[in-house]
Amino acid sequence: MKAKKRAGLTVTYIVLILISIIWLFPFFCLVLQSFRSYQGEFGGMVNYLVPKKFSLDSYKFLFQEGSQYTRWYTNTLIIAFVTALLQTIVVICVSYALSRMRFAGRRALMNVWLVLGMFPGFLTMICLYFLLKQLGLTQAGAVPGLILINVASSGMGYYVCKGYFDTIPKSLDEAARIDGASRAQILVQMIIPLAKPIIIYTALVSFMAPWCDYIFASYVAFGHSDSYNVAVAMQRWVWTNDYQGYFTRFCAGGILVAIPVTILFMCLQKYYVEGVTGGAVKG
Amino acid sequence: MKRKALSIALAALLTAGCFSTVSVSAEDYGSGEIKIWVAEEVKGFTDEKVAEFMEANPDMAGYTVTTEAVGEGDAATNMITDVHGGADLFGFAQDQLARLVSAGALTPIMGENAEWVAAQNDAGASAAATLGDMIFAYPLTSDNGYFLYYDKSVVKDPSTLEGILADCEAAGKGFYMEINSGWYQTAFFFATGCELSYETDEMGNFTAANVNYASPEGLAAFKKMIELSESKAFNNGSSISNAANCAAIVDGTWDSSAAKDLFGENYACAKLPTFNVDGTDYQMSGFGGFKLLGVKPQEDAGKLAVCQALAKYLSGEEVQIARYEGNGWGPSNLAAQQNDAVKADEALSALAEQLAFTVPQGQYPNDYWTLATSLGDSVISGDYKGASDDDLMAALQDFQDQCISFAE
Amino acid sequence: MGEKKASGNKITGFFKWLAADIADIGTTFTDGSWKTKLSYLIMGGGQLLRGQYARGIAFLALECGMLWFIFGFGMNYLKDFLTLGTKGRGFNPDGTISYGDNSFFILLYGLLTIIVIIALILVWRLNLRDNRNSERLLKEGKHLPSNRKDLHSLLDQNFDKTLLALPLLGIFVFTALPIIFMICVAFTNYDFNHQPPAQLFQWVGLENFRNIVTVGGKGNFGGTFFTVLLWTLVWAFFATFLNYFLGMGVAILINKKGVKLKKLWRTILVMTIAVPQFVSLLYVGKMFASDGLVNSYLIKWGIIEKAIPFWTNPTYARILIIVINLWIGIPYMMLIATGLLMNIPADLYESARIDGANQFQMFMKITLPYMLFVTGPFLLTSFIGNLNNFNVIFLLNQGQPQSMKLTGGAGYTDLLVTWLYKMTINDTNYKMAAVIGIMVFLVTAVISLVVYNFLPSVKDEEGFQ
Repeated sequence: MKAKKRAGLTVTYIVLILISIIWLFPFFCLVLQSFRSYQGEFGGMVNYLVPKKFSLDSYKFLFQEGSQYTRWYTNTLIIAFVTALLQTIVVICVSYALSRMRFAGRRALMNVWLVLGMFPGFLTMICLYFLLKQLGLTQAGAVPGLILINVASSGMGYYVCKGYFDTIPKSLDEAARIDGASRAQILVQMIIPLAKPIIIYTALVSFMAPWCDYIFASYVAFGHSDSYNVAVAMQRWVWTNDYQGYFTRFCAGGILVAIPVTILFMCLQKYYVEGVTGGAVKG
Repeated sequence: MKRKALSIALAALLTAGCFSTVSVSAEDYGSGEIKIWVAEEVKGFTDEKVAEFMEANPDMAGYTVTTEAVGEGDAATNMITDVHGGADLFGFAQDQLARLVSAGALTPIMGENAEWVAAQNDAGASAAATLGDMIFAYPLTSDNGYFLYYDKSVVKDPSTLEGILADCEAAGKGFYMEINSGWYQTAFFFATGCELSYETDEMGNFTAANVNYASPEGLAAFKKMIELSESKAFNNGSSISNAANCAAIVDGTWDSSAAKDLFGENYACAKLPTFNVDGTDYQMSGFGGFKLLGVKPQEDAGKLAVCQALAKYLSGEEVQIARYEGNGWGPSNLAAQQNDAVKADEALSALAEQLAFTVPQGQYPNDYWTLATSLGDSVISGDYKGASDDDLMAALQDFQDQCISFAE
Repeated sequence: MGEKKASGNKITGFFKWLAADIADIGTTFTDGSWKTKLSYLIMGGGQLLRGQYARGIAFLALECGMLWFIFGFGMNYLKDFLTLGTKGRGFNPDGTISYGDNSFFILLYGLLTIIVIIALILVWRLNLRDNRNSERLLKEGKHLPSNRKDLHSLLDQNFDKTLLALPLLGIFVFTALPIIFMICVAFTNYDFNHQPPAQLFQWVGLENFRNIVTVGGKGNFGGTFFTVLLWTLVWAFFATFLNYFLGMGVAILINKKGVKLKKLWRTILVMTIAVPQFVSLLYVGKMFASDGLVNSYLIKWGIIEKAIPFWTNPTYARILIIVINLWIGIPYMMLIATGLLMNIPADLYESARIDGANQFQMFMKITLPYMLFVTGPFLLTSFIGNLNNFNVIFLLNQGQPQSMKLTGGAGYTDLLVTWLYKMTINDTNYKMAAVIGIMVFLVTAVISLVVYNFLPSVKDEEGFQ
């Protein structure tokens, strides 16, 4: 019996190790590629894994004079931070209103939002572009423009947060109201502290999304390279023929993006799990 | 109806243009901003030349000129999406001309300026900037064609396609050609004597198609394409940067420095090879294309005049030679083409040799490029593996019918 | 039959309500004081005269703002709404251009104006009702709520209005209005040949919809549409359920009694969630190119002779995309399952073990039913998310390969959304993009409705609390 159990465990370990290798291999390759020199060796794609000579050329390129990489990085950071902050506030507001208050048209509102959510996001890209342009928030104003777009519709993503609010007993609210607290006080002083995990989850998810936004971001920046975010700027290095031999630089830049985002994610993983699990159950 | 009225207006303009030369006097150019979109590699160069231009023309100093690095493809896409938001001057590859005109992103060039374009540039280049009878852009280069870069340690004899493939296969290396692109595909079809061209009016509409792919000549070319796609050495692609196992690649001058990086001392280039079908040799052909500089329609006469003057300067002889020296762009300007350095360039001379076999690229509807990609993808994914001649002919007939249907 | 009756009742009910409402407007006027009557013209007038400055100013400001918008701005566009503009651009003798009507803005601002007019009517009605209520209160000898109380209520009883005002405005302007606009575009000929500001576009009725369901004929849009739709459904099915079961499997493996370093295994897996996809997926896509790492090493080691056409063969490409998606999807499901598996009472397994059940039987009898029950809604949202999973397809291979059998630039791995994207960006064929967008909506809506009827727990929102 014990031997059987041990055999079972061994198999489990082998499977887990295999999975881990598959999961980490692409990242490992990516790191190796980023250390290949675009000057000494070749900056494009190659069909071997280990660089013939390790070098930091690609990283140096990102920070050398005339490179806009830091600018793009800062843009993305700003977008991510402000979006995370404002989006979290919006989601909390909407979730509280829908979870705690009963008003005329509440059901209808939720249904309309559900219907709106069934349209694919890319459908309205051209219209959003011109709306933003009317507000002067394209090209040079693309960074605030993207924040506006990210935040404006974030109210519709209330499901997970509202689901969590629903689990906080309403009797707490009622007790506080009897003590004379207003709705606003209840939200700020009671619900928000109790809902900390889901708030961190909301902020984390909204912080991570802008790092991968290259479609709409490139539309809004409209060729104004000062307004690019990292994703927009770097996908050009891979996809347009104007940039020959930029592949290793893409890898290097990508790794510098991945490191902070990954660290942040790992630190807040606990909350993320809580969020997705709650979201999965509540739908 | 409306279109007709507009073309009459344009025709009237053409005649009016003859006597309304630069009628703006020196003082009233006005002021404002002019935005230029050029490819990343020539951004610094363009900045420099714009500064020189502004210095030489103090009467236009009311305008601030900014340049942005926007690649030719992106520039055209952006201009088509939003003309108002786009640049006042922008570089693009000629295949976008009709779309840009149709989207209203190019101002017609008239009078003296039109004569200047026609006189200064080679015939192909000015034809590439023309729709109907109207010139819409200033040619920048005549080097938008393709030829062969190869590794001379692998490919011993670049004169036949069969030989190149055999060398590559033996060395376990790849031969790269983007046969799912309408641009590279014509290397086969034009080689056997097929024809594919469109007629346009000055609105950017396609009025007629001349195409005979569904013919014995088309069949021969098509068979060779299929055969090529089945070679072990074949890879679909035309970007050196993405060619991971490259011994030979069909590509253009813009990749010459990347090719030098990749092949090192084995770098070599040549005209495209010949290929053999059923005992007949055909010289690979293809498109000879051009890069153009466009001016956006302007509501202000002063700004229009400044934009035109700037575009003229940036596409003139002196700047074209400088652009060749700095970035290796092959000139379209006739005088610049006679420059000694230009004549001695290795990649450009391979291109020049190839140009003798190519067809100057005219205007093609966007749908053609999409359709050609579909044809190429079908070939690569093996849809026609072992198909009979009749089946292949039917596929070509389908292709041809669709090509014709794009011209309303 | 029953449903039809119910909806019939709803319609007659609506008209009854409307008639009553209009009658109410009349009686409010005839019975009302001059202050109320004033409010019919100047909104908030009655409230101001009764000393309810907060409400009065709010109504008045809304009226002024909306009227200014309608007459100062919107009407210029609304008047051309039926034609979408008639005046084209023209070139002047000096070479400059004079722009004519812009169909895009006529449609967009025309719609906005219509919506503002409707909103104005609703606010006007609200204003009347408020007047009538005030009048009633006064008649009953009660006090009207003070301005202070009105304002304070925005943080208390009416806190929902404060909370929702900005989010609603944002969603209206940047989600609802653009969607309504694009739905309208589906009924026009807005494409590369009719692009403002140089060209006008017009209403064309149902032509685009006819185009997309017509199989064969010029362009064969219909055939392509159904091919892409079918693949979209197949993809969503595999992407959802393979991830679901394999993710659960991995979670069970990690949670197994005796397995050490649980946290490490989990952390390794969630790397794919943490690293931005435009880096990781783009690279993984390149790894499988015909000259990519995978093929190169397989050839080098002599396992294969000729490169495997991972991305150029339609079947291989489709399978590979589903497989690579596991790389992204399994960790996600693993996280969810880990939390949920711990919720299953251990004594359930204990008693099953005493009854002599083996691992597999326990999974089938206990774990799976529990998980399916709890994560039903998740499966639905995840299926719908996969229908629109743009990133995976686009970053891996942009929907390749295309084929002569498909039209409109669609490839064999294109989903409806990636096709929509290509139409918008590559072809500026906005009319067909709009039609495809509506089709995506219809597919999503139908699937949701069907599943909702199977999942009673989703409907009962209050049941969770």
